[in-house]
Amino acid sequence: MTAARYAAALVILGAAGASDLAAQATPIAPDAAGERAEYVAWLTTAPTSPLAAIAQQSIGTGLRLGPPDADVPLDGVAEQRVTQQGGAVTLTAAGGRRPIGRGVPVRLADYTLTAEGPAGRAVLTVFGPRHRGKPPLYYEQQRSLVFVGDLLPPEARGTVRVLGVDGVEVDAAEAGSVLVPVGGERVRLRVRRLPTAGGEESELEIFFRDGTNGRGTYPAGRFVPLLPERDGRYRLDFNRARNPFCAYSSAYPCPAPWRGNTITAPVEAGERYAGSGLRLPSPGPEATPETR
Amino acid sequence: MRLVAWVLGVWLATLTPPATRSPYADPWPSPSSLAARAGSPSLAGPWRAALDLAGGALPFTLELAKGRDRWTGALCNGRVCQPLSAVSVRADSVLLEIADYDATIQARLTGDSLAGVYRNVGNRGPRVIPFRATRGRWPVTHTPTWLAGRWDATFFSDFGSSPRVFELRDGPQGLEGTMISNTGDYGHFAGRVEGDSLTLAHFDGAFVYLLTGARHGDTLRGVFHAGLRTQTPWIAVRSTGAPHLKTPTEITSADTSAPFRFAFPDLDGRMVTERDPRFRGKVVLVDIFGSWCPTCHDAAPELVRLYRKYHDRGLEIVGLAYEVTGDTAIDARQVRRYRRKFGISFPLLLAGINDTEAAAATLPQLRGFTSFPTTVFLGRDGRVRRVHAGFYGPAMGAQHERMIREFEREVERLLAEGRS
Repeated sequence: MTAARYAAALVILGAAGASDLAAQATPIAPDAAGERAEYVAWLTTAPTSPLAAIAQQSIGTGLRLGPPDADVPLDGVAEQRVTQQGGAVTLTAAGGRRPIGRGVPVRLADYTLTAEGPAGRAVLTVFGPRHRGKPPLYYEQQRSLVFVGDLLPPEARGTVRVLGVDGVEVDAAEAGSVLVPVGGERVRLRVRRLPTAGGEESELEIFFRDGTNGRGTYPAGRFVPLLPERDGRYRLDFNRARNPFCAYSSAYPCPAPWRGNTITAPVEAGERYAGSGLRLPSPGPEATPETR
Repeated sequence: MRLVAWVLGVWLATLTPPATRSPYADPWPSPSSLAARAGSPSLAGPWRAALDLAGGALPFTLELAKGRDRWTGALCNGRVCQPLSAVSVRADSVLLEIADYDATIQARLTGDSLAGVYRNVGNRGPRVIPFRATRGRWPVTHTPTWLAGRWDATFFSDFGSSPRVFELRDGPQGLEGTMISNTGDYGHFAGRVEGDSLTLAHFDGAFVYLLTGARHGDTLRGVFHAGLRTQTPWIAVRSTGAPHLKTPTEITSADTSAPFRFAFPDLDGRMVTERDPRFRGKVVLVDIFGSWCPTCHDAAPELVRLYRKYHDRGLEIVGLAYEVTGDTAIDARQVRRYRRKFGISFPLLLAGINDTEAAAATLPQLRGFTSFPTTVFLGRDGRVRRVHAGFYGPAMGAQHERMIREFEREVERLLAEGRS
């Protein structure tokens, strides 16, 4: 079935090659502005916003929360233990046990806990009562940086362990690549399917670097989703590019760049970075190997 | 659909400016203002509701009722309903809360229609799905005989293909059933049939599942929608009765034609194999474990107890550790800690990393190895007599006790074999 989807070649308008994504002639997706407003509201106020994150740790064989010498010290919280068995994560205290379901936040005094990640490799994130840092900044919407076209099949199928936008290691499936005419060159960007909370859901994502990294955007690169269109093609809208959560809090590990996903030209669209003033000279070859 | 979403987005933006009324922190902060205003249209009754997913509408029923001093409500998939934790009505707007999942449905009443959004506070960003409803119930369509029963399905995704089973039947409110994977079921689904097409849905406030498909000859083909955008194609054929799903205990077996072989270094780097004198002529339990594995921590004290009880009569145990890093120094340190924690006196060997495929490759005589821990029982001739995948910990109560008794019986039987 998947192969059949790829095989359904579609005519691309414009001067680009038959497999390239073509710049979208129609206006920016009308719901993009609404999505951005939702995201900013979530980021600045949600209890599980990365701006409120104070710790993220692999649960492994168990974590202690609460006392000053615990794995995660929490003010005013009596000793708690977080363990995982199979796919289930449990919070245990003197008063009893509580499950922490995937994607279901659990309140603990002034704090919020979530568990994510595959069975046996679950990761606990602890959020504090206050949001720190600044809300995100964005470039103006750029109509010229919205593309629609085909997803090309991957050279080899399989999965690879990568960090998602939230720093949690997941098994991502190689979904293929897209050819994007941007900045006067045709750039091939690798696309991976990353599972999301609940196990059944997933998103096609591209983690890319470009000429703005360290000069207005987050130095390590940004994520942008590849969205399915109703006609079998896919939409790549750089206005939806967003920072990995390590841009907001040092509680999160930063994903290593994906091999090859580098656009030399500046992609002045999507989320900007007003952080620590880090500067990188230019997006050269990746310095860090991928998480495998 | 995008136009509808856009209109909805613009309308919502005017309804709740994010700077002053965030939908996440405290949508309506003043409880005193939440009472229904006299004279406003009543929301009470059943609502034919839907979530507009990228690939189609997920139907469910919303039940709202006004008590003496408060509103109540439920989300229903056919006859199975789940109560809402709170229903707040203000003028022509309604806020439905599903506290267990930190989820809400916020909507406004216009005429006999509700329109708004379902929000789920996620870990990677907001999950927002358009919601709409009109008064009344979804029509009931009875399940035709060609559809009722058990179907063996295969799902196809970038992650590979995987089996599911559909169990479909005609319930009091029409088509209902469930979907089962190797690891469990997806809860109650309800839906309808139109001609050759079927739609089944499950929405409980957190899980957003829609199964759509159609009959093509003697197969069913369709798409499974999860959340707003994930769409997974599937094909199903009527079940023949042969098992389509597998559990670890069913799929782990072993080559019994030759002695079970292993050769791995111990924590001091000395190679240990099944041919060592300490194992010769003994009943051996091979414990495939990892120090990272909580179930293995449940199993370890029981193995230590068995070892103490039966060692003098001829039982040996060897632990094969599959660890996280593959770095011998780090992994050995972890396994030493594990050995100290449980007072283990039988040998523990560093066998590899905790990837089931990698582990399986190091033990080619095991077939279908998927589970940590797995206990392999060897007779005095070194051949596999039994493979037990998984371990019921003390939290499983009676099942734990029964499994321990089975382990003891098996060990005693194998010890007796040698004497006969």
